[in-house]
Amino acid sequence: MILPLGVLAALALARYRGPGKGALETLLSLPLVLPPTAVGLVLLEALGRRSPLGGWLASHGLEVVFTWKAVVLAMAVMSFPLLVRSARTAFEEVDPRLVGLARTLGCGPLAAFRRVTLPLAWRGLLAGVVLAFSRALGEFGATVMIAGNIPGRTQTLALAIFHDNQLGRDDRALVLAGVTTALAFVALWTAEWFTRRRSRRIAA
Amino acid sequence: MIEIDLELALASYTLRVAARLEAGVTAVMGPSGAGKTSLLEAIAGLRRGARGRLALDGQLLLDSVNGLSLPPEARRVGYVPQDAGLFPHLTAHANVRFGARADASAVASAIATLEIDRLLERFPASLSGGEKQRVALARALATRPRLLLLDEPLAALDVGLRERILPYLLRVRDEWKTPVLYVTHNVGEALALSRRMLLLRDGRVEADGAPFELLAAPALASAAEPGVENLFSGRVRGHDLEGGVTILDLASGQGITVPLAAALTPGSAVTVAVRAEDVIVARRAPEGLSARNLFEVRILALARAGADVTLRCAPQGGEGTLEWIVRVTPSAAAALGLAVGQVVYLAVKSHSVRLM
Repeated sequence: MILPLGVLAALALARYRGPGKGALETLLSLPLVLPPTAVGLVLLEALGRRSPLGGWLASHGLEVVFTWKAVVLAMAVMSFPLLVRSARTAFEEVDPRLVGLARTLGCGPLAAFRRVTLPLAWRGLLAGVVLAFSRALGEFGATVMIAGNIPGRTQTLALAIFHDNQLGRDDRALVLAGVTTALAFVALWTAEWFTRRRSRRIAA
Repeated sequence: MIEIDLELALASYTLRVAARLEAGVTAVMGPSGAGKTSLLEAIAGLRRGARGRLALDGQLLLDSVNGLSLPPEARRVGYVPQDAGLFPHLTAHANVRFGARADASAVASAIATLEIDRLLERFPASLSGGEKQRVALARALATRPRLLLLDEPLAALDVGLRERILPYLLRVRDEWKTPVLYVTHNVGEALALSRRMLLLRDGRVEADGAPFELLAAPALASAAEPGVENLFSGRVRGHDLEGGVTILDLASGQGITVPLAAALTPGSAVTVAVRAEDVIVARRAPEGLSARNLFEVRILALARAGADVTLRCAPQGGEGTLEWIVRVTPSAAAALGLAVGQVVYLAVKSHSVRLM
């Protein structure tokens, strides 16, 4: 879900050379260093029914806080910086002269992006997605603040493990930890497999 | 017809170039940092901030007074940078087909002209420098550009490879008839390929004219490095197995003898190269000479460049297409009393004529 947005932000950061670039970058990276509970609290305050934004959303029938949407939002905000950072590096590594050449060969800016920039930045993008996914998988603090821990509704794997452990159901917690491990393993392995296949082709 | 009247602010000076170029090859020379690459990029539309006027075959590409600046994809100008700039994630074939306007017949003729059919399935990382340049040239040609910008396409190659690419450039010039702006450091290449030369220095056109007339310019004399000044295309007439030679017909109709190359079938097209310093000049028709090639020519121009005297000669009474560039020492020029208008004989050993 955050992929298109993250790619756009990364592109903007890679190309934009104006004032405020540093501040914007820092702002985007802030969730990386803040305690997740602090981020969760800010989100909660911003989207709760008493806040103007939350009230407006509620009046349009959109309840965010303590629903699954809050889970998604918390994960997105927390993993966004990781995606943006690696996507940006990936874009910066694409030689801008190759993009220029694609233009002289008749490609518009969008076509040049699709046919040259994207394929060349693909590995970095994938790495960013995997990183972001792992971060989302492990997300705990912000989620528990804004979405609560409602079994069957807003309980994520990470929350459930903590929950079961607190209730003394360690066997269930262990099974869930195993599921998490399997998910993470498959994600990382797939990413690794993609990048290896690609680099072999380019170096061949 | 290409009309250039450009201004582009660069880090240490402003590039100002005004010129009207006809078809054929125009060489762009000058010391490093003179603005040669910036000029090409501005013409291709890759430089923001270029001001002035650019027109190609009557169509305006840039007219900053009226706020017009066509994006690169609308200019139909082909660009080949020094390092070829192939897309590393695509095969040679996909690179050549990349251009949005590339139609199948243009792709096929570009592949044939540059003889890259055996490289098509390979990725750029596995191609040699010369092969990359040929693929990059084919990629640009396949879009049928109205103007081709070549930025030192041979500079990254060693001397031997460089001379093997030159015939391809000759074919692009003569068979595709695409006008070319050719940035080079090599005076020999410029003499062999171009009819017109722009000499840039610190962003200005220091000299503009026929390459031969500019030979004596100090910037050129200091940049001079050996090249192949005489480059002719021709066809194989036949082989003299006993004599150990192969005879070629040059485009001018004259014959020229080279060491036996029996593998060439009669009628096939070839390119030959002769270095300017490998030609012997005689005032009278020499007799009893071992050199197999003798041409009666008239001296059209004579220039003192650096430590040498360079002559431009054309066959007596023949068509002017086959011009010879010959280099002798000042002492030889003085001893022979060489002067413009004089008829002399040029002798070339078979072994000095190299098949390319």
